[in-house]
Amino acid sequence: MATEKTDVVIVGVGAAGGILAAELGKAGIKVIGLERGPRLKTADFEPHDELRYFQRQDLRPDPKRMPVTWRPNTNATAHPIPIQNNGNQAGGGTVHYGAVSWRFHEDDFRVRSQTIARYGEAAIPKDSSIIDWPLSYADLEPYYDRAEYELGVSGKAGNLKGQKIDGGNVFEAPRQREYPLPALQIDQVGVNFNAAAKKLGMHPFSTPHAILSQPYNDRPGCTYCGYCQAFGCHVGAKSSILVTKLPEADATGNFKLITGAVCHHVNSDNSGKVTGVSYYGPDRSDSTIEAEIVILAPFIYDNVRLLLLSKTEKFPSGLANSSGHVGKHIMTHIGARGFAAFDDRHVNVYMGPSAQKNSLDDYNGDNFDHKDLGFIRGAQISAGPAGLEGGPLGTAMSMPPPPGVPRWGAQFRDFFAKYYTRYVALTGQTENLPYPDQTIDLDPRVHDAWGLPAPRMTYDWRRPNEVARIEFINKKLMEIGQAMGAAHVWTAPFGAGAPGGHHQGGTRMGSNPQESVVNKYSQSWDIPNLFIMGSSTHPTMSGFNPTLTIQALAYMTADAIVNRYRKNPGALL
Amino acid sequence: MPKHDEGRRAFLVGTAIGAGAAASAALVPEALAKTSGHDGAMHALAANDAAKHDAKMPAMGGGHGAFFNDDDARTIAAFTERLMPGAPGKPGATEADVLNYIDLALAGAYADEQDFYRRGIIQLDAHCVAAYGKPFRHINTAQQDEAIAALEHGQTIAFTWPTAQAFFNTLHKHTMEGMFADPIYGGNKDFAGWILVGFPGAQMQFTTDDMLSKEAFTREPVVGLQSRLKSKRS
Repeated sequence: MATEKTDVVIVGVGAAGGILAAELGKAGIKVIGLERGPRLKTADFEPHDELRYFQRQDLRPDPKRMPVTWRPNTNATAHPIPIQNNGNQAGGGTVHYGAVSWRFHEDDFRVRSQTIARYGEAAIPKDSSIIDWPLSYADLEPYYDRAEYELGVSGKAGNLKGQKIDGGNVFEAPRQREYPLPALQIDQVGVNFNAAAKKLGMHPFSTPHAILSQPYNDRPGCTYCGYCQAFGCHVGAKSSILVTKLPEADATGNFKLITGAVCHHVNSDNSGKVTGVSYYGPDRSDSTIEAEIVILAPFIYDNVRLLLLSKTEKFPSGLANSSGHVGKHIMTHIGARGFAAFDDRHVNVYMGPSAQKNSLDDYNGDNFDHKDLGFIRGAQISAGPAGLEGGPLGTAMSMPPPPGVPRWGAQFRDFFAKYYTRYVALTGQTENLPYPDQTIDLDPRVHDAWGLPAPRMTYDWRRPNEVARIEFINKKLMEIGQAMGAAHVWTAPFGAGAPGGHHQGGTRMGSNPQESVVNKYSQSWDIPNLFIMGSSTHPTMSGFNPTLTIQALAYMTADAIVNRYRKNPGALL
Repeated sequence: MPKHDEGRRAFLVGTAIGAGAAASAALVPEALAKTSGHDGAMHALAANDAAKHDAKMPAMGGGHGAFFNDDDARTIAAFTERLMPGAPGKPGATEADVLNYIDLALAGAYADEQDFYRRGIIQLDAHCVAAYGKPFRHINTAQQDEAIAALEHGQTIAFTWPTAQAFFNTLHKHTMEGMFADPIYGGNKDFAGWILVGFPGAQMQFTTDDMLSKEAFTREPVVGLQSRLKSKRS
C-alpha cells in the first residue's frame, strides 16, 4: 500500500474539481486529483459515432461495472438504471454534456421565501423539504462572470445591470457585462421556434452554451457538426474542463492527476478531521493519500456513497452527517416532452449545437403567476432533437411516434422516413421540488466491480405538484408546436416515475448545521477540512441546467480556501 | 445543386486552410473528392467502399456466422424485417443487414446477451408452435406481426426469462441500432438506414446556409466511419 502526501486531494476532476485544481494550484497549493476514468484528448473524439457515444454511452460510467440502482419507493426492489448522467473521465460530465450554461434566477436561490411572500405558506407542498440557499444571486454573480469568461460561454445578455435587452433572456438575473462570446448561429429549428413563440407573446432567445461561437483562448469556433450532447468535441470548441481548466492546472506545476483511481474511503481521525483518502488503482492496488484538505467532487452518487461508506465510531452515521441529511432531498429534471412534425418544410434538427438550441423562460421559476395553478415553480422550455443529439438512432430511441402510429412495422418506417428531417422536439425541463424521502443510500444487494455497494436511488417524481406542472407545461408545448404550423403535434406519455437528468441534492447547503450538510462554501459543517462540491449541494434545483452554477460555486470555494482558509484553517462560517 | 451546397464547399476549403482546423483538415480532401452530383453515385460509392472494406475484414461480409446458427438467423432476420419492413425504394432490415449487425454484436459488445437471445428465440418459437403450429420463421408475415404484437404487449404465456416484453424491447432496440448505427458495425449496409431517412452521416461541419435551409440536405457524400478510417491509414 503506497502512501503519498499533499496539501489538497480532489476526488473527481470534473466541472467543480477541475476548477479547484487549477485555482488552488495557481495559489501555490499542492494538489493531487483522483479520476476513476482516463484522461482523453480532443483527437480521441473524432470521428463521431452515434452507436458508441449516444447509444452505448462510451463517455459515461459502464453501468455493469458501476451500477446505480433505482426503486420508486421503499417497498420495491431496486434495479440498475440503464443510463447515467455523469461522466467517467478527466473533465467529468463536461466532456460529453450539451454545454448549456445558465445562471440561475434570483428567486431560484430563495424558493421558500419567494413562494411564501407571493402565494403564502400553504402554496408549498407539505411533504416537500424546500429551504432557501444560504447565498444570493448577487453573492454568486462575480463567480458566474468569471466562469463565463474563463471557460468561454456564448450567448446574448437579456438583462444588463437591470436594463432588459430584446433578443436575450429578458427574465435572466441582472448581469454586469455581456457574454464573452456572441450567441451561436441560429438554425432552422430556432427560426421556427422563435417565430412561434413570438406569435404567442413569449420571449425566445438563443440558449447560452459553453461552446465557442468564435475562436477564443487559442481554441477554434464551433463547426456546427451537431455532435455535442453525449459526444466529445472533435475541435475542442466545447469549453469542457478537459480543454480549459486542466491545461491551466498542469501549467501551475502544482497539480498531479492520477487516472484509473477509484476512491473508496475518506479517512478521518479522532480529532474530528479528515486525513486523506484511499483508492483502488487500475491493478486493484489499494493506496492512500494524506492531505490537509479533502475535496469531494464526484457526481452526487459518489459524494453520498463515500460519506456513508466512510463512517467511523466518531461518525457513526457517515461523515458530515450529524444532521442526518446526507442522501436526502434528491431532485432530477423531468422533461415534459412535445414534438412537432412538418409537412411543408425540413428543419434538419441534426445540424448545429444539439442540446436546447433555442429557449424561452416565460414559464420557468417564478417568472409567471402560479396563483390557482395548483403547483409552484416552472420549467425552462427549449427546442432541439429528441435525444438531445440529432442522429437517427438517438431520434428512433427517444421520440415516441404520434398517437395512431405504431412503434414498428411499415407505418412506423414511413413515419420515420418522412419526418426524421422534419421534426422538432420541444422540452420543458421542470424544476422538481426536493422531498426528504427522495434519497440515495447504499444498495444492500447490488455491488460494483470493486465490491462496493451501489448507490441506490429511491425516487418517484409523480407528486401532485410535479404532475400538475408537467400537465401545464405540456399544454404550452402543444401551443408552440401548433403556432409553428406543424402538421402533427403530440406529447410523450408519462413514464414510471424514474429519475430524469441533472441529479441534484444529497449533501445540501444551508444556513445552519441542523438543516444542511454543508455551508455556502460547500464546507462540511461537521468537518472543516472536508469540502463537498457539485450539484449534490443544491437545496433546490431551478429549471436551468446546473453546470454553470456548480462551476461558479467552485470558484467561490477556491477563493475562500486560498484567501481565508489557508491563513486560518477551520470553519469559514 | 442547391445554393447552400456551394457555400459549404467554400467553408470546407476555408476551414481546411484556416487556423485551428487541424482535426478536420485530414478529412476534407476526401470529402471533397467524393462529392458528386447525383444519388446514383452516392450508392455506387457506398457499395464500392463496402466491397473494399469487406476484402480486409471478412467478418463484415454480411449475413451471420459469428453467433447465430442458421435457424436462429432466419428467425432474427424475419423478426427484424417485420419491425422495419422493406419496400421498393424504402430499405428495411434485410437490406440494411440488421441480422449481421446483431450477429456481430452478440459475438462482441453484447456477448453477455447471448443467453438472452437463445432463450428468447426458444420461447418465441414455443409461443408460435402453440398458437400456429409452427416456429416463428415458418409462419406467414401476418401471423408474425400478430406474434410480435403479443410479445410487445406481454400477451403470451410462453415466456419466463427473458419476458416477452423484454425480448421485444431488446430486438426493437437492436433493430434500430442495425438500421441506423454506422455501417462499420455491420448493419446500415450501404447506408440503407441513413438513405431511408435522409441523414448524411457524421458530417464534420455545417454552414450557416445549411442550418437555415428548409430543404432536405441531399448533398453527397453520406459519410461513415469506414471512409474515415481509410483516410487515416493512407
